[in-house]
Amino acid sequence: MSDMPFPNTPRVDATDKVRGAALFCADDARAGMAHAALAVATIGRGYVLTVDTSAASAVPGVRLILTHDDFRDVKSAGFIMGGGYGFQSLLPMLSQAVAYRGQPIALVAADTLETATEAAALVQATYEAEPFSVTLDAPGIEIVNQADTPLKNFFPEAIAGDADKAFEEAPVKVEATFTCPPQHQNPIELIATVAEWKDDKLIVHEGTQNAEAIRHGLAVALGISPEHVEVISPYAGGGFGLKNSLQMQTVLAAVAAQRLARPVKLVVPRTQVFHDASFRPATRHHVRIGADRAGHMVAAIHEVDAQTSRHDLFPGEYASTSARLHGFEHFRGHERLVRTDVQTPGYMRAPFEHPACFAMESCVDELAYVLGQDPVALRLANDTAIDPISKLPFSSRRVADCLRRGAELFGWGARTMAPESMREDDGTLIGYGVATGAYPGVIVPTIARLKVTDDGGVVISIGGHEMGQGIRTALAAAVSRKLGVPAERIEAVIGDTRAAPQHLTAGSWGTASAIPAADAAAESMLTALRELASGDISASQTPAQILKAAKRSALEVEVQTKAPGQPDAIFDRLRSGLVSVGGPVYADFVTFSYIAHFVEVRIEPRTRRVRLPRVVSVADCGRVVSPLTAASQVRGGVVWGIGATLREASEVDPRYGGFLNADLAEYVIPVNADIGSIEVEFIDEPDFKFNSAGVKGLGEVAMTGVAAAIANAIFHATGRRLRDLPIRIEHLL
Amino acid sequence: MVATFDDAALQAETTVASTATASLQINVAVNGTPHTLTVDIRSSLLDVLREHLVLTGAKKGCDHGQCGACTVHVDGRRVASCLTLAAQVDGRQVTTIEGLSPRDGSLHPMQQAFIDHDALQCGYCTPGQIMAAVACVQEGHATSTEQIREYMSGNLCRCGAYVGIVAAIQDAAAKMKQV
Repeated sequence: MSDMPFPNTPRVDATDKVRGAALFCADDARAGMAHAALAVATIGRGYVLTVDTSAASAVPGVRLILTHDDFRDVKSAGFIMGGGYGFQSLLPMLSQAVAYRGQPIALVAADTLETATEAAALVQATYEAEPFSVTLDAPGIEIVNQADTPLKNFFPEAIAGDADKAFEEAPVKVEATFTCPPQHQNPIELIATVAEWKDDKLIVHEGTQNAEAIRHGLAVALGISPEHVEVISPYAGGGFGLKNSLQMQTVLAAVAAQRLARPVKLVVPRTQVFHDASFRPATRHHVRIGADRAGHMVAAIHEVDAQTSRHDLFPGEYASTSARLHGFEHFRGHERLVRTDVQTPGYMRAPFEHPACFAMESCVDELAYVLGQDPVALRLANDTAIDPISKLPFSSRRVADCLRRGAELFGWGARTMAPESMREDDGTLIGYGVATGAYPGVIVPTIARLKVTDDGGVVISIGGHEMGQGIRTALAAAVSRKLGVPAERIEAVIGDTRAAPQHLTAGSWGTASAIPAADAAAESMLTALRELASGDISASQTPAQILKAAKRSALEVEVQTKAPGQPDAIFDRLRSGLVSVGGPVYADFVTFSYIAHFVEVRIEPRTRRVRLPRVVSVADCGRVVSPLTAASQVRGGVVWGIGATLREASEVDPRYGGFLNADLAEYVIPVNADIGSIEVEFIDEPDFKFNSAGVKGLGEVAMTGVAAAIANAIFHATGRRLRDLPIRIEHLL
Repeated sequence: MVATFDDAALQAETTVASTATASLQINVAVNGTPHTLTVDIRSSLLDVLREHLVLTGAKKGCDHGQCGACTVHVDGRRVASCLTLAAQVDGRQVTTIEGLSPRDGSLHPMQQAFIDHDALQCGYCTPGQIMAAVACVQEGHATSTEQIREYMSGNLCRCGAYVGIVAAIQDAAAKMKQV
């Protein structure tokens, strides 16, 4: 175990990426490839009565058309959060039922993309339409108490003490309701599949965060052995939660490829991605905080209504993070799920923690103003080393350090407390805002194979997916340090079910899971090399030199690691492609990552346009393995926070169902001109209680708290509390 | 229902597809190499580059000219190749990311600057960002951070690498002048 900070390692796949040589799934442009396109339902709910494919099949070059009649032998692979593999339990085209607008009703495969696109647009259907509900308050919704469902066994409500009584008795109270809209992940890489059958083996190329779920999900859906399915995903062009499971198009492409006996490429157009893959559900948060007159937070209550689909319960885990933000004496969290007629919502970067921290940290700012206390000082005074819910110690918690260091870097001391008290000569309003964020520290079982060869090569085959977060670079940095081999000589084979079991990469557990496994593999390799050399090796000898001296061409070791307290049977679950997360509450401790954001807003006096010239973010993610890519991760998380707060909303259409702004011009994400300076620092103190490498998660905590910091800065600039996201120019007029 | 087609039908259809109304012959130089191509009149430059010439550096993110991942140069100007019909590049010079630097040679200063400033994460928008960035400098639109931010706002980066992208362009702009 090394306690030294890591140096900057350049992103190991950057050269391929700047040359356009990194091959993403849809870059497969082999001769003989058939191209597929989908026709989709134009009703909000109901049934397809007839599908007329005559015009489509008359288009020259069309080779195959599939409708619900062609999937009698196919079955659903289940919902990823219900013991299955799919982003939802509903696999389209297995029946005539239409659960939501935009659900696929036919697939067309043709020799060219142009032909497939034309023909898919010619598919005509008749429907029996039924009433539908697409908003949290629409008639026809169904509200489910999460605690009354089997989900309570996996996601217990965060409750400690008697928060309602303590709140009632508290001399200082704040209470507010916040709303967050549906949002879509929109990685720039579209969801896409290239499927090919070689004899009885199905080979799938797809940019994914979960190759193993695709493999096992296809096996279930098609009734074949997982031994006959390979999933290969060296790169995902952004994931952000969208690509965390079996997508709907994968099975359709696989069936088409089998029928055609040709490889099939199915790239889902952006508009269809909005309707046929997951998204961040709409939520409403009712938050109450009670404090004593000194500002000690004695009670907090966080009640959430979160959208789900008619066919699945997407679990809500909002209050379990807001409960860990401060040392609340009493806490009560409550989640209700609202069934609507949409595809099943899912995970989008900081899926629960972004809305939860927005609501709670906005409310904490309101408390600071009721008390007349500095918002940083109030938070520092409410820090805790003990988890408010379990009463176990945190394995590490340096959020106070994040706040103090951030305040110093930002120049928080120059802030005057009163709203509207800081402005430029031209009337531009200036606001400084602060908020903290937290994200659970979880670990998944990991199997790593490490091979060294006498030509100096080092290959680590391990569970994990590269979607830009830099896991390849982190793996290279970790193995490089242990083996004394330059990082650029280390190849990481990831996202490949042929190499090692591929657990879902999400929830910021990638580094905390893969790096201890890589470390352990390297330790095991050093032991094996010592044995090979009969103990006679010096620190300057490379593995290749030891192998040569021993006249061995290669040496391979395998290790497996898991979360503290997980049983050995967890590795069977891993091999089955099922979610196998451990934490954040362990036997002796609780682990969270933390961050503090400091934001300056400037609001133009006439247009009321909000600009963000600078952000300072200081993160506690344990040991930083790859400082360069970690800093990029935090900047990216801040950009996401800015988008989620000031720009992004998927506009729901209550008349027709579906989403109205289903493209990248109408769904507005941050552009370069929206982003100013983002200064990032790390506390960089290892958490060896959590794992042997001392690393905690980073990619998601980076985004948490940004929304509240911005909203709090807008309050400071204008005196207006804005509690509904996104905050737009019209809300400031 | 399954509709499949026998070989005779396939032959007949191929004939229809290759009639003058459906396809067009173009002469285009791509990365300095002349090509004579028969393209579907509906084909975008992006789809021809990717599916016919197997130059897959330019990426499809929206197919509507909204994201910039498909940015290439046509006669030295940056264009969204998904919004450019292949028919429009008849007689023109197209440069893609693959043509920006020799395959086995040194990188273009902009490519190197993107690495040095970690101006990328997943890498999917990166070829488009780099082609836009080179044009941004050549247009004279890289004289300040504010100007770079404005003139690079047609290229979306969902990973949020904008700070690095601006730093990379400032760095490379100085080096491109020296070249």
